[in-house]
Amino acid sequence: MDELDPVIHAQARLRIMAALSTLELDGSISFPRLQELLDMTAGNMSTHLRKLEDAAYVDITKTHKGRTPITYLGLSKKGRRAFEDYMDTLRTVLGEQP
Amino acid sequence: MTNDKNTADAASAAAETALVDDDAALDPAAMLALMQNQQRSVETQMGAFVPYITLAWGLTWLLGFGALWLIDGLQPAFSLPLATAVPIFIGTILVSGGFSAWLGIRSGRGMRGNSASAFTGTVYGITWSIGATALAVFGSALQRQGMSAETANFFYPSAYVLFAGIMYIIAAAIWHAIPSLVGGCWLVVIAVAAPFFGYPGHYLFLALAGGLAFIALSVFGSIQQRRIRTLTNGGGRRG
Repeated sequence: MDELDPVIHAQARLRIMAALSTLELDGSISFPRLQELLDMTAGNMSTHLRKLEDAAYVDITKTHKGRTPITYLGLSKKGRRAFEDYMDTLRTVLGEQP
Repeated sequence: MTNDKNTADAASAAAETALVDDDAALDPAAMLALMQNQQRSVETQMGAFVPYITLAWGLTWLLGFGALWLIDGLQPAFSLPLATAVPIFIGTILVSGGFSAWLGIRSGRGMRGNSASAFTGTVYGITWSIGATALAVFGSALQRQGMSAETANFFYPSAYVLFAGIMYIIAAAIWHAIPSLVGGCWLVVIAVAAPFFGYPGHYLFLALAGGLAFIALSVFGSIQQRRIRTLTNGGGRRG
């Protein structure tokens, strides 16, 4: 239980997960909007999103608005659970009540 | 406050290291602070438009109800013609309504909610139109039954302000927005208190009590947001 999930336990990925956790259940956000909110470069964010997607923590939906392709990102059920577990573990490590 | 300071210290430590390597982890306390600050930063950025809307409505109240008061409020020294006052009143409401809608849509760009929240938002939006129309019909029905023009001068502003107040309270309940709850309760109070001031004092009361309260709410909201932005190191903007 005291093992911190290595997929989330990196600053960039924790920031992405934290931002996505503020969305409502099953809500999603477009790639450029998330990039703007986090102020990350597209390349950096893509790299970390791939790791989160490989762990099935993030759902990625590709769609079109007119002719422009848009990518929407949201936490998967597994991702939301993993994020909550990560927070609980972090608080336990810090000696707080999870 | 100590907690805030610790959070800020941990966050600045987090941010500095983030510049070096954002694939690395920090110590648990700094990671917790980074996560909390990121969440607050996102929420603050998403709500950054709210003080602007509140300010717009504050000015609308001041100018709109102020114009109605000026029809007879400073007689005989000065009188704003009815033909000028009413367009100012309606115009400021339309401008603020359009501005609010534009900012609201802009802040929601790139966001997709679930179907339940889309339903809630649509029903809430339609309720404004239903209520506004219903009050107009209700008022004209009362006038047909003998409500005088003098009484109508009290009925319409109070009915609409009361309705707006209740809608603010409902918004607060749906979206957990405390400022909306405070603003809504205040509107309900001033709506029912206004007629006690008589004509045309009730317009001046609504202009000042409504307008200044919304401007104060806007200033309070901006200060709150600035405080959070400072605390989260410019919005967690690193890497």
